[in-house]
Amino acid sequence: QSPIGQIYSPTNEVNTYVKTFSPVSSFFPSELLDDILREKPQEADGIDSVVVVDNVPQVGPERLEKLKNVIHKIFSKFGKITTEFYPEADGMTKGYIFLEYAAPTQALEAVKNADGYKLDKQHTFRVNLFTDFDKYMNISDEWETPEKQPFKDFGNMRHWIEDSDCRDQYSVIYEAGERTAIFSNDAKEPITVEERARWTETYVRWSPKGTYLATFHQRGIALWGGEKFKQIQRFSHQGVSLIDFSPCERYVVTFSPLMDTKEDPQAIIIWDILTGQKKRGFHCESSAHWPIFKWSHDGKFFARMTQDTLSIYETPSMGLLDKKSLKISGIKDFSWSPGDNIIAFWVPEDKDIPARVTLMQMPSRQEIRVRNLFNVVDCKLHWQRNGDYLCVKVDRTPKGTQGVVTNFEIFRMREKQVPVDVVEMKESIIAFAWEPNGSKFAVLHGESPRINASFYHVKNNGKIELIKMFDKQQANSIFWSPQGQFMVLAGLRSMNGALAFVDTSDCTMMYIAEHYMASDVEWDPTGRYVVTSVSWWSHKVDNAYWLWTFQGRLLQKNNKDRFCQLLWRPRPPTLLSVDQIKMIKKDLKKYSKIFEQKDRLSQSKASKELVDKRRAMMEDYRRYRETALQIYQEQKSVRLELRGGVDTDELDSNVDDWEEETIEFFINEEIIPIGDLHHNRKTKLLARATTVYKYLILQVYLTCSLSFSPPVFVWKEERGALLLTGEGRQPRCES
Amino acid sequence: MWDTKNVLTGSADNSCRLWDCETGKQLALLHTNSAVRTCGFDFSGNIIMFSTDKQMGYQCYLNFFDLRDPQQIDDNQPYLSIPCSDYKITSAVWGPLGEFVIAGHENGEINQFSAKSGEILKKAKEHTKQINDIQTSVDLTMFISASKDNTAKLFDSTSLDHIKTFKTERPVNSAAISPIMDHVVMGGGQEAMEVTTTSTRIGKFEARFFHAAYEEEFGRVKGHFGPINCVAFHPDGKSYSSGGEDGYVRIHYFDPQYFDFELEA
Repeated sequence: QSPIGQIYSPTNEVNTYVKTFSPVSSFFPSELLDDILREKPQEADGIDSVVVVDNVPQVGPERLEKLKNVIHKIFSKFGKITTEFYPEADGMTKGYIFLEYAAPTQALEAVKNADGYKLDKQHTFRVNLFTDFDKYMNISDEWETPEKQPFKDFGNMRHWIEDSDCRDQYSVIYEAGERTAIFSNDAKEPITVEERARWTETYVRWSPKGTYLATFHQRGIALWGGEKFKQIQRFSHQGVSLIDFSPCERYVVTFSPLMDTKEDPQAIIIWDILTGQKKRGFHCESSAHWPIFKWSHDGKFFARMTQDTLSIYETPSMGLLDKKSLKISGIKDFSWSPGDNIIAFWVPEDKDIPARVTLMQMPSRQEIRVRNLFNVVDCKLHWQRNGDYLCVKVDRTPKGTQGVVTNFEIFRMREKQVPVDVVEMKESIIAFAWEPNGSKFAVLHGESPRINASFYHVKNNGKIELIKMFDKQQANSIFWSPQGQFMVLAGLRSMNGALAFVDTSDCTMMYIAEHYMASDVEWDPTGRYVVTSVSWWSHKVDNAYWLWTFQGRLLQKNNKDRFCQLLWRPRPPTLLSVDQIKMIKKDLKKYSKIFEQKDRLSQSKASKELVDKRRAMMEDYRRYRETALQIYQEQKSVRLELRGGVDTDELDSNVDDWEEETIEFFINEEIIPIGDLHHNRKTKLLARATTVYKYLILQVYLTCSLSFSPPVFVWKEERGALLLTGEGRQPRCES
Repeated sequence: MWDTKNVLTGSADNSCRLWDCETGKQLALLHTNSAVRTCGFDFSGNIIMFSTDKQMGYQCYLNFFDLRDPQQIDDNQPYLSIPCSDYKITSAVWGPLGEFVIAGHENGEINQFSAKSGEILKKAKEHTKQINDIQTSVDLTMFISASKDNTAKLFDSTSLDHIKTFKTERPVNSAAISPIMDHVVMGGGQEAMEVTTTSTRIGKFEARFFHAAYEEEFGRVKGHFGPINCVAFHPDGKSYSSGGEDGYVRIHYFDPQYFDFELEA
């Protein structure tokens, strides 16, 4: 099979074409050659401006003029056609033609835009550069079996999942990016798994199922994995700055702003991870909304949006689905359902056609739901993690008003005909988040300082119920546990790290805490632990990450020199069936007992270790102090001599230092009318104290009797212990 | 001075002055060529030392005057003047019997200078950054050094053996040893240029208490709203005071629980 045959789609005409394919020289009847020679020599060889168009209708002389007009009309859009040649055989055109343009760039435009042009049902143009033939012709006819690559065994790629204590891993970048470490999460303290200097040049990313760790380098990205984090694969993409994995971990998409040329678009490259092959390159105008390509949940499709167009590609061919993009005039945003191959997209108002949100099934492209929206300013799409619900946040300016109000349009994906319920919000929305695997959502709304947190439940009976609203919250972000039910409301950055731990089963605030200047919150994949951190990238002091339980109990404070980023390693989906999970939940009590005992043992081991350590340290210290004190005693005579015989070793060593002082405190004024006399009965408390302040004697001076009472209180100053009261009575209490 | 009769002060006005404590009368004035960084009386109260900064072309010197010899004061001639060519002295205290001065330097070094000969008797290089403060224990057998390298260290005064280290995440400006408990207190802050980023935090600068034997932090006292520059225990150990960048001196008396507190051992 000739390699050239692969360029064309297999139609009958192509097969004919392939059979009649002849060596280069027959392409050049003398007339054409003369024409070419007559042209003034250009900078580029004239051959670079020639295109070959295949799948042109084969016509007889009576229709030739019409055909030429049609071809001309189509192809003169790309530039000035200087020469055209319609080869004939047996009175009919052969089905392929040659067009020469004024410049090679025009020929390229023709190839780019007319290749795939559907003239009619039977004729879809294939356009190629003439020079490409040369290229392909030079491929040897001999098929050389590619060399067999030795199998690289990286070991068990899921090794971390088999940890006997089910510890999850997380990556930490610190020392301003100089060091990257992988830790195993233990409630007592992190266990170092791997630590490398300059492992990455900027930051790291985990693949969606946790198999690979991606690091960034000037020349491209590298993937690491397995028990020892060996280098699995390397992708060369100079100046790469962003990456994205397909959900199935088969593909990785890299973006580099440096690599983009018209002939060979290399700004975005899609790679096959296992083989390391470059599958396809794409041009990219701006990386502002990364990822540019959005993947369907099963990795079968990926799509991107450009002006008025939605292009959907399929894997593994990397070609456009149905060979063409969808023309959707005005399309503003789209996203895939995380549970099914459904795309949701919205278009704004157009003259008298209202704005609408459309749900489209792939690959059939059937519109399963369309929702009209009126007076729309903006929309945002929020899918629930299983694809059970779609929330469209609609900002509208209702007719006759100036302000903007927000509605949440909730699409119930699992119900017939996808009914939509609307929740009206009176205040501006700060954050919105679905419970990952449930039917609740949380909203932060209002304006600082009056920010409110509301929790809603999407019920089966068609109602959406407001479960609870907390007002005056210090929060600007919502973080649900990946297992649902629990969440953290956080006031990050400017709100100084206020944290609220909430149980949404009964909407109670379990705990309120603070991690001053926290910049990030990350849940572990199991939903048992939360990490709050202060990244050096946003705040230059106190860089650390703190580990909390899901209930808000602080377990660890880990200070790391110039800590930058912590990312939990994702887990692959569970291998247990729904029934197996049910069984485990039933026997949970039995399992809990075993685990609790294990925890207790390790806790007591830890405290025993700590206690032993402290005991040893205290013994050493005591021994040192004893020796020092011994020397000190021996030097007493020297000290006495230096101070002329005055003993200053203790605060009360020198009795001559004792002094008595009288201090008056004014306590109280009471006016008690006694008949005609208006005596002010003041009580003065007099205190007698020694300079050594060992005893504080308080006496109450009673003005009416103009004498001192017997001593009323006597305190032993050091401990505030009340020793005796007046008249020799023992005190009953201390204060 | 140990009998609270005189006070010795050193200042960036290039002078060291001796005062009568009760009357406030200046008893002696010693001019220097550069700012006086640190000063003190020896155990007997007869010898004074002070160090001058490396400034305006003048080196750092450690000067010794014997107050029993009025000639030295009148002529402004110390009987001993030790030059420090490399790293200037940032803090200094006398040894237990007046035989040597323990000096902390800009680079974290600690040296024992003989008060008789001026030679360096012992050296210690445990800190990695500038020593901000040195304070002795009440019996002068040990001292604690506070350093910009985020730690404070406990040393034996005579041998300069490094005994304990207390770690924090901020530079330590000052540290003191409790006279009656196995505790040390530390106060600090951060680089001057970073002050503005945390200045919104009112009352959040803390004095931190560590157990001297376990090297573990067991308590913090909030209140200052600027970095703490100086801490000191009361001689009877029942209170402590701290002075901060915010212009306040705070005096705290310990609760009874403070004296009963014990870490499990």
